[in-house]
Amino acid sequence: MSYKPDQNDWMAYLYDEMSGAEKDKMEQYLLSNPDARKELEQYRNMRKLLGTVGDKEVIAPPIVVGESRQRFLWNAPYLKATVSIAASLLIIMLVGRATGTQVSFSGNELKLSFGEPKKPAPVESNPVASLSPEQVQQMINTSLTQNNEAMRASLTETQQKLDASIKNNLASNSGKIDKLVHEASTASQTQIQQYVSSMQTQNLQLVKDYFKLTSNEQKDYIEDLLVDFAKYLQQQRTDDLQIVQTRLNSIEQNSNVFQQETEQILSSIINTVGVTETPKETKY
Amino acid sequence: MAETLVDIAMMHSDTLVSRAKQGDQSAQGKLMQLWYKRIYNFSYKFFLDHDLAMEVSQKTFISMCRSLAGLQDNARFKSWLYKIAVNHCREEIRKTKGNRALSFDVVWNREAEDSPRWESSGQRHANPESQYQQQELADILQQALLELSEEQREVVIMKEYEGLKFREIAEVLNISENTVKSRMYYGLDGLKKILERNNFNKDTIGYEL
Repeated sequence: MSYKPDQNDWMAYLYDEMSGAEKDKMEQYLLSNPDARKELEQYRNMRKLLGTVGDKEVIAPPIVVGESRQRFLWNAPYLKATVSIAASLLIIMLVGRATGTQVSFSGNELKLSFGEPKKPAPVESNPVASLSPEQVQQMINTSLTQNNEAMRASLTETQQKLDASIKNNLASNSGKIDKLVHEASTASQTQIQQYVSSMQTQNLQLVKDYFKLTSNEQKDYIEDLLVDFAKYLQQQRTDDLQIVQTRLNSIEQNSNVFQQETEQILSSIINTVGVTETPKETKY
Repeated sequence: MAETLVDIAMMHSDTLVSRAKQGDQSAQGKLMQLWYKRIYNFSYKFFLDHDLAMEVSQKTFISMCRSLAGLQDNARFKSWLYKIAVNHCREEIRKTKGNRALSFDVVWNREAEDSPRWESSGQRHANPESQYQQQELADILQQALLELSEEQREVVIMKEYEGLKFREIAEVLNISENTVKSRMYYGLDGLKKILERNNFNKDTIGYEL
């Protein structure tokens, strides 16, 4: 038998969606082909396995769908969008018209202006546009000489003015100085004498005060010095006396000790002498 | 798989969808109640994150209420709803790629902090050890799903857990049915490799992968 099912036939047979003649052919093929039977069995096993996945229970939520109104042409969204764009353009055009907005683009320059653009005053074309460099140089030279002359004239004028003002100033200053010298010379001799005598008295008074003050201070200082010196001498004397007293005391103590020792030595000598003499008497 | 009353109601929700399309808020609410758990579980398995799954679910139903009027064929409501959910999931991925912060739930396992799982679980197993093993296995599988590429993960979850047909998944993802089957094939193959890498074999699960 030359029949061999393809993948579509397999699926149609597996899900029982094969027409009568095709199905017969497939069954004949399966009967004569154990491998195909095994394959079919495997597909059925797979279906059995897939059957283990069950449905999940679910409760339909309430869904409220608004009354579906018939959509008229003017409710169509694309029409709304077009109309809104057109309205926006119209508004922009009206505003542009009202404000007289002018937009122009020329020579890499975008101009946005309100009202009629003011045209710049036309620049008069220079009739002597074709001047040679020598002519230009000459013109520069002439203008420079004119300029120099004008400068020189103004300089001389300024210098003259300066000289005149300096002369005036000198004259007025010398007059003032003469006046001052004259005033100074007219000061009276008596005024100077008074001034000198007052200075002398003041100086005398100052020297007197100074001497008085210094003599008082020296006196106080010397008195203090004498008192301090007397105190120092007194202190020195008492210290010396104390030293002498202590020395005398120590000498006295030493002499006492010496006396006692002497007495003891004498008594011991006497005793020893007494003891040594008595046995001799018994012997003889 | 035994069909519950909810599954039956979901399959026969054409009239509900018609009423909801006309702006009946009560019908919209009922549709949401019917499908919320599915969309939540799809998102949860996609992200393995409760908050993200809740956000995607809520956004999905808000989008559903707003654009239900544009649904052409009521029979395709299911794939239409999953398409919205998939788009919101992709949007969240784009957001989280920009903001690489860890979800607080990842750092602090709130479920572990709460009462033990068996207490809140509706199904009580006779053998706690077997229940624990099942739960562990389910956790590992969830992690393995996360390791798949987004494209394969979407397909595997929609096929295996949401029970969409390949045709419906192709509608949701706006791709061909063969591409869906191919992604499913490589997705299963990828899962097998991930599990083998984590030492899953005949000894640990009792059968050969």
